[in-house]
Amino acid sequence: MSEAKPRVNGRLSLEFQQNGDQTIMQVKEQLQPLKVVRAFELADGAALVHLHNLSGGVLGGGHLTLTAEVGPGARAQITSTGATRIYRNRAGSLDSYQLNQFEVAEGGLLEFLPDQLIPYAGSRYRQETRVKLGQDAGLFWWEVVAPGREAKPELFEYERLQISLDITAENKPIALERVQLEPAQKDITALVRLGNFRYFASFYICRVGLLPSRWLELEQRLDAIVCQLSRPNEILWGGSTLTAHGLVIRAVSMNSRAITAGLLDFWRCAKLELYGQVAIPPRKVY
Amino acid sequence: MGLLRLMQLADSALPIGALSHSFGLETLAAEEILTVSGLEAFLISYLEETGAFEATFCRLAYRLAEQKDSFAESWLNLNQRLSAFKLAREARLASATLGRRFVQLAFNLEDSPKLRIALDICKSSDTELHHSPAFGLVGGVLGIEEEAVVMAYLHQSVTSLISACQRLMPLGQSLASQILWSIKPKLGEAVKQSLEVSQNPEKLHNFSPMLELGSLRHSLLTTRLFIS
Repeated sequence: MSEAKPRVNGRLSLEFQQNGDQTIMQVKEQLQPLKVVRAFELADGAALVHLHNLSGGVLGGGHLTLTAEVGPGARAQITSTGATRIYRNRAGSLDSYQLNQFEVAEGGLLEFLPDQLIPYAGSRYRQETRVKLGQDAGLFWWEVVAPGREAKPELFEYERLQISLDITAENKPIALERVQLEPAQKDITALVRLGNFRYFASFYICRVGLLPSRWLELEQRLDAIVCQLSRPNEILWGGSTLTAHGLVIRAVSMNSRAITAGLLDFWRCAKLELYGQVAIPPRKVY
Repeated sequence: MGLLRLMQLADSALPIGALSHSFGLETLAAEEILTVSGLEAFLISYLEETGAFEATFCRLAYRLAEQKDSFAESWLNLNQRLSAFKLAREARLASATLGRRFVQLAFNLEDSPKLRIALDICKSSDTELHHSPAFGLVGGVLGIEEEAVVMAYLHQSVTSLISACQRLMPLGQSLASQILWSIKPKLGEAVKQSLEVSQNPEKLHNFSPMLELGSLRHSLLTTRLFIS
């Protein structure tokens, strides 16, 4: 018998406001299993927040909503406390679902740097992410998707993984993604998809209002890192300016460690170029 | 008459510059990821992902030809969304170049107010005009049957990719013809998939990271035959 309602309905709503040189976080709503404990003050004025999921991941059939509003001039850095595990769904249960909604107001900056997503065998998961950027708003947003619990070994044994992303700047779409993976239906190792690679990652770097020429310059700088970090049969990187206001970095890899290290390199370079500031990694071991 | 016009528009000799683009295949060939032996399988998965995706935009644009109210707004929205989906600059610009030239050529051949609006509104709003919606809109304006237009679009796309491969790898004409012939059922499935997606937009999807990386990394090749 199919479920009509989600078994878990977690919600977390955060607001970040500029207060002098610092950013203050306010928790507007917090329903388990999503939780934050406190914000840490970073040297660049940002508020660093670790997202906790008390159930250790997204439970089969669970629905989670994460909302973050970054006010004018405020700076937020959001990370997770560990990988997001997508647990197996029971037969007849609803698909697991997470909605991420981010809004960055004029002059604000959001750095959303979570750990990898690990879809377990038998899981069905849909994730929607919507990011709205105002004038001069900035974004560093990455996502790494694992093939499953590699050590088990469990590769591409999930039932379905759907990931959608909408980034809009001044109400126009600048980056859209619609991923739907059903490894039992369509060969994920097909050459147009992942080929021999196992992990894939995206990193969006945006600042609204910058001239296209600035983005092309940054693309060239990041290309140097692309060349330096790419290794045949191990990891491939690529980067490009978006249609406006930003740039994307993509990677496919045989392991997650190389992706994480590379993302940090791209972030450091881009943060320095766009903000003249050193990127401050979240307080955890990579 | 419609069939004859469609054959001309889908001909690889149509002077819009399609032969100058590999859409990332040049990189995959240069990095020895794509070879002759894997080409047919590659094209089949291409049709399942990017092929069906582009065919959906072709189909949606086709239907705009009949739309009287808010045509310009819908046309712009469709092209802006496609630009945002095309993350790799080279592939995006290639699609935009072919699309603009395609509509301009069709407008020169067949004076149509709708094609004029489609060109003018994209130019005045600095919006990229992409190839798949361009093909669909022109087909709709000419009153050619929808399925035939979508199928012709996809067929000329795959033909163009195979043609690029003939210049990139030891792929002879006979084998190229054989591959194009044998993937036609899959092409039909992709067209059918685009019909389903056009009726359920939430089903739209495309996951082609390797092809995309081919495009993202193309400018890094030391020697290049193709623009994209």
